[in-house]
Amino acid sequence: MALAQQIQLQTGGSGARGSARRIAGSPALRVAGRRLLSAIPVLIGVTFLTFVVMSTLPNTTAQAILGLNASPSAVIALNHSLGLDQPFWVQYWHWLSNVLHGNFGTSIQGQSINHELASRVPTTLMLLLYALVVSVVLAIIVAALAARRPNGIADRLSLAVSVLGLSIAPYAFALVLIIVFAVKLAWFPVLSGPVTDPSSFFRNLTLPAASIGFGLFAIYTRLLRADVVEQMQREDYIVTAKAKGVAPWRVLIRHALRNSMFNLITVIGLNLGGLIGAAAIIETIFQVQGIGNDLLNGISQHDEPLVEGIVLVFALVTVFGNLLADLAYAVLDPRIRYGRSTS
Amino acid sequence: MAAPLPDVQLATPTPPPLPSLINARQLRAQRMGRALRLWVPAGILIILLAICFLLPLVTTLPSATRGNIIYNNEPPFSQGHLLGTDVQGVDIFSQLVYGGQVAFEISLAVTAIGIAIGGTLGVVAGYASGWVDALVSRILDILIAFPALVLALVIAQGLGPSEFHLILALSVFGIPAVGRIARGATLVIRGLPYITAAELAGTRRWRIIARHIVPNIVPGIVTFSLLGIGVVIILEGALDFLGYGIQAPQPSWGNMIANGQQILSAQPEYVLIPSIALLITVAALNMLGDALRERWGVQ
Amino acid sequence: MGSPVNSVPPNGALLEVEDLQVTFAAGGREIRAVAGVNYAVEPGRTLAIIGESGSGKTVGCRAIMGLLPAGTLISGSARLRGTELIGLSDSQLRKYRGSDMAMVFQDPARSLNPTMRVGKQITEAIMTHRKVTKAEAHEQAVELLRLVRIPAAERRFFEYPHQLSGGMRQRVVIAIALACRPKLLFADEATTALDVTTQAQIMELLLELQQELGMALVFISHDLGLAASYADEVVVMYAGKIVEQAPAKRLFGAGGTVKMRYTRALLDAIPHLERPAHTELPVVSGRPPDPAALPPGCSFAPRCPSAADDCRAKEPALTEHAPGHRWACWHPCENGGAA
Repeated sequence: MALAQQIQLQTGGSGARGSARRIAGSPALRVAGRRLLSAIPVLIGVTFLTFVVMSTLPNTTAQAILGLNASPSAVIALNHSLGLDQPFWVQYWHWLSNVLHGNFGTSIQGQSINHELASRVPTTLMLLLYALVVSVVLAIIVAALAARRPNGIADRLSLAVSVLGLSIAPYAFALVLIIVFAVKLAWFPVLSGPVTDPSSFFRNLTLPAASIGFGLFAIYTRLLRADVVEQMQREDYIVTAKAKGVAPWRVLIRHALRNSMFNLITVIGLNLGGLIGAAAIIETIFQVQGIGNDLLNGISQHDEPLVEGIVLVFALVTVFGNLLADLAYAVLDPRIRYGRSTS
Repeated sequence: MAAPLPDVQLATPTPPPLPSLINARQLRAQRMGRALRLWVPAGILIILLAICFLLPLVTTLPSATRGNIIYNNEPPFSQGHLLGTDVQGVDIFSQLVYGGQVAFEISLAVTAIGIAIGGTLGVVAGYASGWVDALVSRILDILIAFPALVLALVIAQGLGPSEFHLILALSVFGIPAVGRIARGATLVIRGLPYITAAELAGTRRWRIIARHIVPNIVPGIVTFSLLGIGVVIILEGALDFLGYGIQAPQPSWGNMIANGQQILSAQPEYVLIPSIALLITVAALNMLGDALRERWGVQ
Repeated sequence: MGSPVNSVPPNGALLEVEDLQVTFAAGGREIRAVAGVNYAVEPGRTLAIIGESGSGKTVGCRAIMGLLPAGTLISGSARLRGTELIGLSDSQLRKYRGSDMAMVFQDPARSLNPTMRVGKQITEAIMTHRKVTKAEAHEQAVELLRLVRIPAAERRFFEYPHQLSGGMRQRVVIAIALACRPKLLFADEATTALDVTTQAQIMELLLELQQELGMALVFISHDLGLAASYADEVVVMYAGKIVEQAPAKRLFGAGGTVKMRYTRALLDAIPHLERPAHTELPVVSGRPPDPAALPPGCSFAPRCPSAADDCRAKEPALTEHAPGHRWACWHPCENGGAA
């Protein structure tokens, strides 16, 4: 936990005075700010890398636009007018300055990428949040039940399910879900439609979210269970809690589980990157109208501006996801929030 | 005062034997459970590898790329076709076998590259610290921030589908993954007092790395890599599934699933069979990794 | 001659422990951590249980509190005001734990939940056993903080453990233990992790509170000096058994008569100002025995300077050789004078 450790080294904050003032002046925010700044090179690095990669690959954009039968000179002319024959660092610079003005450019289909992103990003976000929230909630419940009696029935079952969740490929799982729930049981549609209201939300996004979420659930459950069991068996404050006469369930939930959440938050942040990749495939399978789908289409059509734009969004989400996790950790862990006070 | 007192009065009666706390049977069951958890997945993997790589050398399997359309959609256990044939009459079992070859070749290659390059980078960064560490960490961070699939897709699509290109594309993901673990583990060992002692005693740095650091991070890297092989198999399958990896008519588990997707409702087995193959393989890898972690005491 | 210790100590005792035995299973072996221990404590009195690590002193008390992991075999008797505690289920024992009997632990840095406010940890103890509103519990918690002499109690209520110093944290742990005014308090190496000054303060605090609340105090330590300063009665344990048991005055007072070689050695190991500078401290050679593989005969024989053949052959029983003073030795010290 780099951020947390940095803060702990630098704390000098004073004691209890008023929450807002505390957090505002707190070392947590200062280090978070620094972390934000250091995220920028990462963002630039990622987008630049994409440009580099795409430019080293054979450039067939103009060809793709004009079609296979276009004459070579037409292709060259189009390349020139699109600025595609310029060195990649020049192209990158143009793109970057446009982006900083909020303009993501136009795709080769001629559509405004801004518009495209604006309409598609919410859907993907909804899908990811759905998967994330449900898997976290279920993971907490199952991990608590499992940790209550290590090596008991609930524990062994949760372990087995976790191995399954970790080992199954999301795309294969998605198809299996379709076979069972959409074809045989017809509870959900095979292909996802637009999400306009809560009921369409659940109808259209449940199977895709489950495809992504099962793997997440497996990871989180294993982590939490291991953490909680370790706390219950090793930590002194658990013994103190028991010595007070607190009932075992309360000890587990109010003491052990509560402290295990920190690791969970870190892992959630770290996993965000892979989540996006999985989302892309799942969106394709279910035809969810999100940016994952767009990305894959863009890649196959050599639609560089579109791909760049989406990659940037992905990178932003990943970086900010990590940052959010760091911040949440800083806010929730009182050791960081309040620093040390002399006494 | 030192005269010993008569036995009769002061002999401490031996306490009655307590009912046994640990059943000998329970103990044996525990040990057997641990052994099973290690050897069953290991055995499964060995069998899978044998089927994919040794079997074709020993017997002649039906072609995995061409089939007779007359004999299409044969059910499993039909004459000459262990698992039946697909829509175009190509034998399914052969497809699984050769698809498995591809899956193992690619994942093992990527993992090896990851350990070689990523491991080295990680150890160097972790040991050297200072600006070297900062630089390498930054690079690793950037690579990790990239959604693995996207990068692999772009590369695979740009370079053209072939096993070699896939390996390259997936290595971009594998290297930073191992690199991070290697760096983390190195940092932990590096902080230990005996390393400082060795340095103060004048031991040369490469010797410290080779003799002290590397042996201690190997268990962590091995267990991580076993899980990593599974991840790469799934990723590579994803690329095939999307059409950017191994192309038809060459079989791979991913494109078998993709083909099966077309007739999902009518004949789900075309999706299920390669999916199950994937599942068993990755699950065995995961369980083996867990069992080794248990045995070697890695975090 | 003495009488073998089979009979129960006189009535009126708050805690009566008889033939307490605790056995673990670890790594495939059975380990008898406590092998038959007897003692009693009266209200308002202080008992010190002294021993090295592995002597079973902590395990015994945790067994009485019910804080040992599941799967531990506990037999014998421990009666709290006549109520038998051994053999109760955990939910039954929980009624007494934290309310009638409580425990203070060794390391205040780790004994408190780092993410829970200090006051909340106290109110949790209160509300587990008493039906009071949150506001009332809050009041009582602040009172408790004052009771343990923490300044600015109202403010401290809202602070987290890491914001307090080690000594204050230990006071909080004591406040938690006293939340329901227990009649019996165990202090398990409660001052070991503190610096010497704080140690003295905490011990003083404990004794004052004992007077105020009329509690029985059992403190567990390896420090015989503490026992000498603060205890009414002393029990010395080795390898799971009691080897010497006497009122503190008999052991440490002028003309004190320590009979056991082991106790003697512990006493001698305490640095004294009167000794000339740079004198080597006499330490007991060797290490405590492995509880799973105890030597035959007296457990201390391998390390005892005056061990003889009968020591190695037969284990001496704990016998009351002098009024109020029990020991288990074939060749006890001649006089209790300093070495």
